[in-house]
Amino acid sequence: MAYIRKRNKKIFGIFLVPAMLVLFLTTIYPMLYAGYLSFRSYDLAKPFVPRVFVGWSNYREILTSSEFLHTLIVTAKLMAMTLSVQLVLGVGIALLVTQKLPGMGVARTLLLVPMMISPVIVGLVWLFLYFPELGYLNYFLSFLGVGAIPWITSTNWALWAIAIADIWQWTPFVMMGTAAAVQSLSPEPYEAAMIDGNSRWDVFTRVTLPQLKPVLVSLMFLRAIDAFKIYDIIFVLTKGGPGDTTEVLSLFIYRQSFTFWRMGVGAAASFVSLVIIVVLITLFFKSLNRDDYA
Amino acid sequence: MSAITLSNVTKRYGAVQVVHGVDLEIDKGEFVVLLGPSGCGKTTTLRMVAGLEDVTGGKLSIGGQVVNDVAPKDRGVAMVFQNYALYPHMTVRQNMEFALRPLKLGADEVERRINETAEILGLSELLARKPAQLSGGQRQRVAMGRAMVRTPDVFLFDEPLSNLDAKLRTQVRWEIGKLHQRLGTTVLYVTHDQVEAMTLADKIVIMRDGYVEQVGTPEEVYSNPKTSFVATFIGSPSMNMIDARITDGRIEADGFSHPVPTRFAGRVTEGQDVTIGIRPISIELAHADDERALPATVEVTEFLGNEALLDLRVGTHELVAEIPAEQRVPSGTKTHIRLNFDLAHFFDAGTGRSLNAE
Repeated sequence: MAYIRKRNKKIFGIFLVPAMLVLFLTTIYPMLYAGYLSFRSYDLAKPFVPRVFVGWSNYREILTSSEFLHTLIVTAKLMAMTLSVQLVLGVGIALLVTQKLPGMGVARTLLLVPMMISPVIVGLVWLFLYFPELGYLNYFLSFLGVGAIPWITSTNWALWAIAIADIWQWTPFVMMGTAAAVQSLSPEPYEAAMIDGNSRWDVFTRVTLPQLKPVLVSLMFLRAIDAFKIYDIIFVLTKGGPGDTTEVLSLFIYRQSFTFWRMGVGAAASFVSLVIIVVLITLFFKSLNRDDYA
Repeated sequence: MSAITLSNVTKRYGAVQVVHGVDLEIDKGEFVVLLGPSGCGKTTTLRMVAGLEDVTGGKLSIGGQVVNDVAPKDRGVAMVFQNYALYPHMTVRQNMEFALRPLKLGADEVERRINETAEILGLSELLARKPAQLSGGQRQRVAMGRAMVRTPDVFLFDEPLSNLDAKLRTQVRWEIGKLHQRLGTTVLYVTHDQVEAMTLADKIVIMRDGYVEQVGTPEEVYSNPKTSFVATFIGSPSMNMIDARITDGRIEADGFSHPVPTRFAGRVTEGQDVTIGIRPISIELAHADDERALPATVEVTEFLGNEALLDLRVGTHELVAEIPAEQRVPSGTKTHIRLNFDLAHFFDAGTGRSLNAE
């Protein structure tokens, strides 16, 4: 018996090897190598120059550069814009599609479509919509008497243009999670409130929202982690411009590494980004463990 | 004036009619129990009174006012649900406060009502707890408290004891009865448990398949069941039912024959198919030489303490007898029994209607 179990363990191990190998080659090794690079001076344009150890100087450079801080601020702004709208819209639509009305099942499925599209495609779709003279958005806005808005070419609008595309893509995610939570709420407390005569607003703010809170917090953390890494949509729509209006952290890392060939600095910025994401994930798991009903 | 009146009230879901023309008068302060097996329409009837279901037809009045189209909140009722329906994220105090919010009372009055109710229900120590930290019985008391603080004209209970274990059920049942004596509020109470109905009710409404079978005091429905359904539903163990036919002035059943008791003389007709209902308590052991004795085999003996239940086979009939425990005989015994026809009920086999005198 013990022999078989030991043998089985070996077989399990063998089956795990391919997956572990892929994981190691695509995730663990690059991460360790990036860690190694973040302490070196490495110019990709001069690959044969030795990679000199420079200590913390790459980190010191980015953490003191106004450019890096600017990308952090842009990222935070974008997160605040997208998350807040996604929360309000997502909850609102979820409450709507969980009503027992005809067509809600179909509506729910259709609303999930944006989420299933690759972000690059979403970027391209919105690029067409935003096109200053030929874009559909300005065409339709002209009927409302709104003049042409330079969506992606104006420093006033570019960040909103990106936010709108992201909101369009990811509101369904918040909606889906919220709708599932709404449907798991038991109906009797609502009937009790109906008999007692509590107003709809009271019921929403004091019965529904508090019960949804744990789910909403989780959804917001998941969105925050994702939004922090936003790259594709911006790369397609504005490439960080105009100027550096929409230059988020991921674009900064990309630019340092593959435009300026400064792999050491890019690697250091990646590590700073990793630390921030780890903090977010830790907070997320902490929020999961908290028992809200105890 | 009646507290609640239902006149010919019906409920229909699409093509399915679940409540058929219910007529019911509930007096002020009365404790009325809607009793019946699941699917009989009792909960639907209660929910119509609460306003949670629309009334399809007929007239529903509360306190003299027709409320068919009145919103639940304006009916002056409070409801206690089977699974408590407490707000899980609120403390006991907050649960009661939330029920009071629509009344827009002053903070002092809210405080006074909550403390008074908590005192009556023994919840004073639990006001800061959340439902998850309470036992089933405590949660049920909070649900009652939440209904009580609003001092409604009518309490509606929807199977409030079904989620409790047997011991707790007895205790909370007793508490509800005591509470009704103390508050004197009109109660409409739904249950499928005849013991709850018998112990709590001033008046029992027995329903079956959406129809009211009988309305009466616990005493009336037990002693004078109007239909064979009521007869078998009320009383534990159930009444024994024996198919028989009236032939030559005698009751002829498979395996025995008995003269028609004089009190049924004018009520049965020659050749009529009847069902004889005999409560287990009306069957006794007899001597073999008793001329009315029937041979019987005891299949199972159940000892209950003071009394014993005998599962008997009498010819093709299976009967249950309840006898004093000291008279019991072991399983497998061949013995004789006597049916006490003086206490028997007769029902028309076709309609199920009682043939007993009113």
